[in-house]
Amino acid sequence: MYGFIWRHLPGNAWIKALLSIVLALAAVYVLFQYVFPWAEPLLPFNDVTVDNQ
Amino acid sequence: MSVRVVVRTFSELCLTVGTVIVLFVVYVLFWTGVKADTAMDDQIAQLRGQWARGSAAGPGEPGSPGTARRKPAAYRDGRPFAVMYIPRLGFTWNKPVLEGTRTKTLTKGLGHYARTARLGERGNFAVAGHRRTYGDPFKDFPRLRPGDRVVLTDGTTWFTYRIDTRPYRTLPGDTAVVAPVPRRSGYTREGRYLTLTTCEPEWGHSHRLIVWAHLDETQPVEAGKPEALRR
Repeated sequence: MYGFIWRHLPGNAWIKALLSIVLALAAVYVLFQYVFPWAEPLLPFNDVTVDNQ
Repeated sequence: MSVRVVVRTFSELCLTVGTVIVLFVVYVLFWTGVKADTAMDDQIAQLRGQWARGSAAGPGEPGSPGTARRKPAAYRDGRPFAVMYIPRLGFTWNKPVLEGTRTKTLTKGLGHYARTARLGERGNFAVAGHRRTYGDPFKDFPRLRPGDRVVLTDGTTWFTYRIDTRPYRTLPGDTAVVAPVPRRSGYTREGRYLTLTTCEPEWGHSHRLIVWAHLDETQPVEAGKPEALRR
């Protein structure tokens, strides 16, 4: 999977490395900004009321 | 497709899932706290700004107490209206209190149960807060003891409540704990009460922890900080 991505990135090894880092950071950003905020309320830490709002 | 490719892809997937899980733990334990601290500071700054503008509109002349205080506006859902101080949880512990107990609201501060009494009024002013995650506001909730003071201000008045019970453990559906005369609180007649609720155990949701307090004293903000907040 990662080998496939690496082979399809353009440029020489340095550019590929740089692009990989950018891609990884983008993935982390999407996770923290969109995926985790959606997933976190599914955990029990939000249940602090007695009327279960 | 060779076995090698299958095995490699599978192990890469496992590594990826593992990394995502670690990142999620970082998010829950650390990042929600960072976000909540910023959000809470922001809410408090908003309130202070509002109060500063309010007092600029009608400066509190010291010589004329009770000069036509405007009738308090209704609390607006999801908006802050007070700041809470609990010296037992730390001398610098202060959190904004927002209207409503929606999940979204509770990420920005403590939440006032919308159907309960207003701050300082007759009835039960009930507030919920996170025990863990989102800045851990009620992390030290079990350390609250009878006699501890809970101080709130709405910009015009300081309200000092005094805790009467040790943290009481109950089930999540026990709405009677936020009733005007809360069950199991030991109060027998109507009064000006405060209820704090959070989750129990610390990382779970099987129970709730409750403490009750009664209004001990009030003083206008012009009179300075209440004694509980002075060092």
